[in-house]
Amino acid sequence: MSVLRCFSFSRGALWCVTRPHLQECTPTSRRLLSAMTQVVPPILSVTPCRALVDEKFKVLVENLPPGCPVTVRSLHHSEDKDDWEAYGHYVSDHSGVVSVSEDLSYGGTYTGKEPMGLLWSMRPVPGSRPGLRLRKMNVCTPMLVTISVHSGHEGFRDQAPLASVLTERWYMAPGIRRININEQGVQGTLFIPPGPGPFPGLLDMWGGGGGLLESRAALLASHGYVSLALDYLGFDQESENLEFKYFETAFNIIKDHPQVMPDRVGIFGLSLGSLVAVTLAAYSTIVKPCCIVCISCNHYYPARGSTVTSKFEGVTRQLSKARVNEDNQVIWKDVALEFITDPSNIAEVGRINCPTLLVNGCDDQNWPTVETAEDVARLMREAGKEHLLSRLAYPDTGHLIEPPFSPHFRATTFVMRSSKEKVILLWGGQTKPHSDAQEDSWRKILSFLQFHLYCGPNLKAKI
Amino acid sequence: MFRAHMSVTRIWQLIEKRMMSCISVHGKLPGLQRAVGEVRRKSSFRQSPLLTATPVRALIDEQISIKGRFLSQNYPVTVCAQMHSEEGDLWEAFAHYTTNASSSINLTSDHSVGGSYVGCEPMGLFWALEPALGSREGLRLRKRNVETPYMVNISLLEGHTSPSEGQRTELAAVTTERWYMAPGVRRIEIRQNNIVGTLFLPPGPGPFPAMLDLWGMVGGLLEYRSALFASRGFASLSVAYMGHKDLPGPQHIMSVGDSYFKSAFQLLQDHCQVDADRIGVIGLSYGVVPTLRIATTIGFKPSCLICINGAVGSPLLDEDGKSKMFESDQKHWEFDDRGYVSFRNVSLPDNLPPESKRKVENITCPLMYIVGEDDLCTASTENADVIEEALRSAGKSHQFTRLSYPGAGHLIEPPYTPCSRASLWKTKPEKLFTLWGGHPAPHAAAQEDAWKRILEFMETHLRR
Repeated sequence: MSVLRCFSFSRGALWCVTRPHLQECTPTSRRLLSAMTQVVPPILSVTPCRALVDEKFKVLVENLPPGCPVTVRSLHHSEDKDDWEAYGHYVSDHSGVVSVSEDLSYGGTYTGKEPMGLLWSMRPVPGSRPGLRLRKMNVCTPMLVTISVHSGHEGFRDQAPLASVLTERWYMAPGIRRININEQGVQGTLFIPPGPGPFPGLLDMWGGGGGLLESRAALLASHGYVSLALDYLGFDQESENLEFKYFETAFNIIKDHPQVMPDRVGIFGLSLGSLVAVTLAAYSTIVKPCCIVCISCNHYYPARGSTVTSKFEGVTRQLSKARVNEDNQVIWKDVALEFITDPSNIAEVGRINCPTLLVNGCDDQNWPTVETAEDVARLMREAGKEHLLSRLAYPDTGHLIEPPFSPHFRATTFVMRSSKEKVILLWGGQTKPHSDAQEDSWRKILSFLQFHLYCGPNLKAKI
Repeated sequence: MFRAHMSVTRIWQLIEKRMMSCISVHGKLPGLQRAVGEVRRKSSFRQSPLLTATPVRALIDEQISIKGRFLSQNYPVTVCAQMHSEEGDLWEAFAHYTTNASSSINLTSDHSVGGSYVGCEPMGLFWALEPALGSREGLRLRKRNVETPYMVNISLLEGHTSPSEGQRTELAAVTTERWYMAPGVRRIEIRQNNIVGTLFLPPGPGPFPAMLDLWGMVGGLLEYRSALFASRGFASLSVAYMGHKDLPGPQHIMSVGDSYFKSAFQLLQDHCQVDADRIGVIGLSYGVVPTLRIATTIGFKPSCLICINGAVGSPLLDEDGKSKMFESDQKHWEFDDRGYVSFRNVSLPDNLPPESKRKVENITCPLMYIVGEDDLCTASTENADVIEEALRSAGKSHQFTRLSYPGAGHLIEPPYTPCSRASLWKTKPEKLFTLWGGHPAPHAAAQEDAWKRILEFMETHLRR
C-alpha cells in the first residue's frame, strides 16, 4: 500500500494526506473538515493510569511529526472547585516522540528533565482566587488529573487539545479500611491495611491549620501501617495534669488495637503536630513511641497554659504582632524566634528516648525550624542522646513539606483561630527545590519508618 | 504452658541463628505449628511480613509485580489469590515458594515449586485461577459489568499448603483491583438502527481508529475486549448478533444478516470521533464468519481483520447471512466419555458446504489469523490452511499473518485470565457441556503473546 505523507507545520495545524480514496468523501461537515485537515492525532499514554499519589508515572506522546513543538499540560479540578494546571513545552525527536520522563521541558511551569513536573508544579489557573491550597479531604476517591497534548508553545490554550487522557491518583490502596473514631473522647480516622496483621502503628497529626486531614494517614496505611489521623485542635481539657491525656488516649487506641504490634507504634507530626510528638516522647509517662518523625519541628513549650490548643492560641495571639511583607503576607518566623530564645519556653527534648527524625526546610518563613532543629540537636547531644537523632534539612524549602508530587504553596490563606481573621501566611520555599525536598524526604521517611517499625530489633521483647 | 512457650521461643532463636536448614523440619513438627503462631503474635519477636503488589490498581493486560518481605530466611510460603466472580463463585489459585537469603520473595523472578502453576510465572496467580472445590461444573470467568474492577485478594500463607486445607496461617495480604476500563474511557449503549451493541471511546478529542468486535455463538453482548481496546486508544464497538433480548427473533438462532453488520460498520464510520478510514474488525469463534463476510461480500473496506479460531464458512447460513438453528444438524458432533461435546468437526473445511465458504482471495486488507492448536470447538488449523492457500494462490501472501499456539484452546481472550477447558453450553432439554480445549500454561502463554501481537497489528495498520 502506498502512503503519501506531506507535512507542513503552520501555527496550530498539521497536514497529513494519506490515502488516495480520501477524495471520494461524502460532503458531511465532518468529512469536509477531515479532508481539509486530515490529522493523525498523536497517541498520548500515561502509565500507570491509576496510581498512588507517591508513585511516579510515565507520560509518553507518540505519532507526532519529528521536531514538532508541543505543550503537555495537566489539569485538575479540585474539591474546592478551583482549577489547577501545570504545563511543559517540548519538542518531539526524530521519531516523533516526546517522553516527559526523558526529555527536557523548555518552559512552562517547570523546565528541564522532570518526569513528575506535571504534578508538583501545578498552580491555580490564571484568574483564580489568591492564597489557594490544594488538599484532598475525601481520600476514598482519587484525584483526577487530565493530561493533554497541545500544538505549539505560545498560546497553546487557544486551541483544543490534540489528545488527552485521564489519570487517577489515589491516597488509599484497595482493601484499606477507613474507620471513624469517636471513642473515649478522641476524634479521628483510623486506616487499617488489608491482611491479618499485626502491623506497626502510627499516630498522625497535622498542624494548626484546622480541619482533619486524612491524606497522609491513608497513604501511610497504603504502605502497611495502621494510622490514626487525629483531630486535636479545639479539644480543650481542664486540668494541667491531664494535658497529654487526649494524645495518650489516642496513642493507646492504636496500641491496643488487636491488629497492631503494641511495641511498634510511632508518632508522625507536622508543624504543631511535631510539637505534640516531641512533648509526648519527652514527658509522657504513659506512652513510649517506638520512633517519631517531626516535619517542620516546633519545640516551643511555655510552662503556662494547659493544653496544646490553648498554648497554640496563646502563641497565635502573640503572633498577631508579626511582620507583614510587601505582598501582604504574614511572616511568623521572626517573632517566633524571639519566643524560643528563652530556654524556659523550650520542651526538654533531651528526655526523648526513641529514634527521632527531624525534617525541615531552610527557607521556612512560618516557624524558625532551622534554629529549632539546631537547638534540638544541641539539647539531645548534651543529654547523650545524639545517636537517636537524624536530621534532614533542605535548602529553599518551606514549611509545608507534604507527600511527594503535591504542589508547592509559598503562601496561602489561613484563618486565625482566635480572631477568625483571614490572613495570608507565608510558608516559604521555591517550587522546584521544595518539590525535590518533598520527594526526597518522603523516601527517607518511609525508609526510617520501615527500619524502626518493620525490621528493627525489638529491644523490649519479654520472653 | 509458660515453660512450653519459653522453650519454643528458645528453639526459634537457635534455629534463626544457626540451623537455617532446620526451619523446614521445624515447620513439620506437628505440635509446634500452632504454638509458634501464638508466640509471634504475643511477643512480636519475629518481624511482621509485608506483601505488596505494584501496581495495585491495574488494567487486566498489565503485569503486576508481587513481593513479600520481612519473612524468615529459606522459609516455605504459599501465595494464594482469591476472587469472587459476578455470579458469586469463588475462584482461587496458589503457588509454593521458598524465601531467599534476604527473607523475601518476588514473583517476577522466583520459581514456584508447586500449586496451580510451576516455574517463574509473574502473573500465574491470575491465569491459573480455578473455581474453588465444591463449585458448580463448567464455569467460565467473564465480566459483564466492565465499569467495576475485579477485586483479587492475594495472601501469603505459612508453609506449603493449599486453600482447601483447613489449618493455615495467613501472614500478610494485599488487595488488587483489575480493570477492563481505563479512567476517562466512555461507555455508550447503542440501540439505534436496529443495532444492539456497546461503544467504547477513549478519552480525548479523537478522531480515533476503531474496531468492530464480534464474539461467538454463545451469544449475548460481551464488552470486555472492547473496553480494553478503548483503554489502549482505539474506539471499539461490540455488537450482539444472537442470544440477546433486544434482538429480533428467537434467541437461539441468528436472525440478523449481512445488513446488520453493515449498519454496525456504518455506525462506526459515521461517528464524529472515529476515523472512517481506519476501522478494523476482530472476530472470535463464530464471529469470524461475519468478519469475513464484511470484508468479502458486504463491500466495506476494513483496514485490517483479526480472526481467532473461526471458520471460513458455516453450514448454517442462508444467502442473507442469517442462520438456522445450530442444533439442527448434529451429525458432526463428537462426544467424549463424560458426555461433553466437541463441535470441531462441524467446521472442518470438507464438511462445510462450498457455497458458504467466503472468497477470502477478494480481501484487500491485512488479515491476521490466530490458531489454538488444541482447539476442540473449531477446526482452526484446517481453516487457517484453507485461508492461507487461497491468499497464496491470489498472490496475496504478504497480507496474511498466522499465529499458531500449541496447547492453546478455542477461547483465546485478553491475557492473564483463566482458561476454560470446558463449560456449560446449554441447560435445556438437559445439561450439555462443550469442550473448548487448551491446557492452562500454554493457553495463558498464547493469550499473553497473542494480545501483544494483536495490539501491534492494530497499531501498524490502524494508526501509523
